[in-house]
Amino acid sequence: MTKPRIIPVLLLKNGLLVRSQLFKIHQAIGAPQHTIRRLSKWSADELILLDISKEDFHDLRRDDMQVKYAGSSILGLLEQISEVCFMPLATGGRIRSVEDMRQRLSAGADKCIINTASIERPELISEGAEALGSQCIVVSIDAFRDAEGRYEVRSGGGSKSTGLDPIEWARECEARGAGEILINSIDRDGTGLGYDLELVSGVVNAVSIPVIACGGVGKMSDFPKAITGAGASAAAAANIFHFTELAYQYAKKACEDAGVHVRPLQVSSRWVTRYPTYDLAEAQVAVADRLDRARNRAGPKRAGSRDDNKVRWCTKCLYPSLSATPMEFDETGLCMGCRVATIRVEWSDEEKRRRKERLVQDLESGRSKDGTRHDCLIAVSGGKDSYFQTHYIKNVLGFNPLLVTYYGNNFTEVGNRNLYRMKEAFGVDHIIYQPGVENLIKLNRLGLIVMGDMNWHNHIGLSSIPWIIAAQFEIPIVIYGEHGYADLCGQFSDTDYVEWTYRYRLEHALRGFEWNYMVGMDGITASQMFAYQYPSDEKIWNIGMRGLYLANYVEWDGNRNAALMQELYGFEISEQPFDRTYRRASNLDDMHENGVHDYLKFVKFGYGRCTDHASKDIRLGIMSRKEGIEMVKKYDHVKPSDLARWLDYVGMSESDFDAIADTFRDPRVWWRDGETWCKRSLWD
Amino acid sequence: MNLKILDLQISNIRSVVNAFRVVGHDPQVIKTAGEIVGADLLVLPGVGAFRAAMKRIREAGLADPLRRHALEEKKPLLGICLGMQLLADRSEENGDTEGLGLIPGTVLRLNGDQEGVAVPNIGWHEVQKTRTDSLFPTALDGAYFYHVHSYHLVPREDEAVAATIMFGHDRIATAVQKGNIAGVQFHPEKSQDAGLNLIASIMAGFGRLPRMRLRDNASGLLALSTNGDESS
Repeated sequence: MTKPRIIPVLLLKNGLLVRSQLFKIHQAIGAPQHTIRRLSKWSADELILLDISKEDFHDLRRDDMQVKYAGSSILGLLEQISEVCFMPLATGGRIRSVEDMRQRLSAGADKCIINTASIERPELISEGAEALGSQCIVVSIDAFRDAEGRYEVRSGGGSKSTGLDPIEWARECEARGAGEILINSIDRDGTGLGYDLELVSGVVNAVSIPVIACGGVGKMSDFPKAITGAGASAAAAANIFHFTELAYQYAKKACEDAGVHVRPLQVSSRWVTRYPTYDLAEAQVAVADRLDRARNRAGPKRAGSRDDNKVRWCTKCLYPSLSATPMEFDETGLCMGCRVATIRVEWSDEEKRRRKERLVQDLESGRSKDGTRHDCLIAVSGGKDSYFQTHYIKNVLGFNPLLVTYYGNNFTEVGNRNLYRMKEAFGVDHIIYQPGVENLIKLNRLGLIVMGDMNWHNHIGLSSIPWIIAAQFEIPIVIYGEHGYADLCGQFSDTDYVEWTYRYRLEHALRGFEWNYMVGMDGITASQMFAYQYPSDEKIWNIGMRGLYLANYVEWDGNRNAALMQELYGFEISEQPFDRTYRRASNLDDMHENGVHDYLKFVKFGYGRCTDHASKDIRLGIMSRKEGIEMVKKYDHVKPSDLARWLDYVGMSESDFDAIADTFRDPRVWWRDGETWCKRSLWD
Repeated sequence: MNLKILDLQISNIRSVVNAFRVVGHDPQVIKTAGEIVGADLLVLPGVGAFRAAMKRIREAGLADPLRRHALEEKKPLLGICLGMQLLADRSEENGDTEGLGLIPGTVLRLNGDQEGVAVPNIGWHEVQKTRTDSLFPTALDGAYFYHVHSYHLVPREDEAVAATIMFGHDRIATAVQKGNIAGVQFHPEKSQDAGLNLIASIMAGFGRLPRMRLRDNASGLLALSTNGDESS
């Protein structure tokens, strides 16, 4: 017998992976390549790749990221992923003809999924089946259930009414030669309410071809229900696979636990690695090229122009559409950061109680059974959020955490004092990992040259050391404060309870450059990169490790946290104002994070931390948009004074720094007029 | 070993090429009859309709060079999915069509009139190895492989069946081997570790074929007993 399949659906919008809700709201999650690689490594039963772009335009061309591919459409992407995609791959979106299907198959897909085009011209199903075989043709049906419980097929990404009954339509698709039906519930999309089992079983009973159920999965236990409850051949879902680590394995496990005989779950692979592999020679050539361009003051590889400029801004906060964080806007021009923040502000008391209970439950699951080890681990930098997390976990909830710090050697004096006082202020154990400075200096320089961020080592360090230590001591729960991207750009909804994932680490914290990228550069050895080597998937699975964001469970306001920590634990804020933002309590742990690191963000994308802070304060309702703009005008462009320290630390001249930084100027933001770099601003 | 993959230009072969690469081989993709010459090992992948594929093979003049490679030179040939079906004498898909005639047998439509089965058969099947003396490794037994097909090859000689799956109540061939000619109905290039392991060990097995041919028996089947049942 064929084994029931569990199928992750990756939704792509202009080449970026997105989270979808009700077919309308799309939150950008990142690039698809790493996710596909890992699903292949884990032996996912099958993969569905749906391109929901409205236009044929892919935008992954950031020069500071490792992820690159030549194409500008789904075809280029398919070709690239076929190198790691050793699993069945079905693809859909924008397929209008047999020729479209043929192109996708020859680029690496095994099946084509058609939806709108099959409704507009049902002959396409039979034409495809005749030319390519029924097994290649999957008809996707988006069904909408109205208030009276009547179902209707909709086309155009759920937007157009068709008058078709999903069951009748499924029968016709089969008769016309469809090999499979993908049935999706529009009104369950992104809701987490579970599959519409009535809809799925209706279709299953009407046809003899395999039916893939989709839409609404909110819990792992929803997966087996599509199979046992509705008779589907496969259970598919999109969003849930992005929220937590090893989600695919937990989905399989839920099926096994429910007595559904799926193909055994797998964590490791002999042939596909989790870490990307890099070509050292290629990497060295890239570095040499970059330095050449810098020497010649050549600026970025691709030159921008005034006309080419595509930046727009959120209508409420100050966030630009081209940013360091993937950003999406809704149809009214509101950014996803604002949308998600609006929902957050409105947590009811009941909601707050529920979330706290959930946190306690999650923490209990990792508590030491015999009491011989710490209950959880908190990744701390000694900042206001670190204090708040430790305060909440230990003194409010009563758990015994182990604190772990990656010491990037960039602490301000105030930050240092705060960090070393945590053991006294809270009476907790605290491991501070201090990497050798010689190597740190190399990594600072390489970070700047390779990706235009001298603080890469810090981001990978705090994404690794806490996990290395947690794995060593078999502590399953690692706690972070905020999910940076959920907070800034509303990457996830607050009902997602998004957790730490390797994908987030690699793509966002690391920009696609894993620790092994640096091995061999500037004489760096693998053992010198020890502090940056994240535990294996096998370890994470066996220990059941999870990384929780406290901000998903408790009300979170950086300003208020700082004030409370000052009052309760004598947390010190900076007496000196920062050069690049008006806030005084953020990033005391790292003198460069608000300085050089953030200035580089401005050089790349034309905005800085002041935009981040003002946008957050506007969302919280404590700053007006007008005041925010004034702040941004004052701070975003400022060249910070800590640059002198950094240049001295790594031995680089300011003009070399500027020249290297200029090679990273995003051509979608900046253009050059003589010697001057120009961009549009939000107040123009 | 000079490994060539024949691109019939009727389906995607990129994944097949990548799968061979990942397990450490460097396949050359070829499209014309002339390029078959000199191949130590030929892979014939394919997805789609039997008739269209045979038409393509005949128009491109590939049938004779393929037969020469496999029958006269007795060099290894591996068919994948439709590529395995093409090895048969004939197929009933879209009316009766003659195949390459390298594995005696007929390609028939799967029996969909059984409770709980669907045609096309799409999905993961546990594979049972039926012979201990075939090219296929022990690791094949009980492993899951991805199948996508509406038709299946029914070999005339039971000995040609190397592995089977259950389709409803039918036990059907999913891997065949007759001497230097082998085929798999499933997609090893889409079966992740199980498939990649299989490709690696088939390649190792084919590498030993010249020695094995000395013991080629009358029925044309290879007895690999002295090598044992090789896994990877």
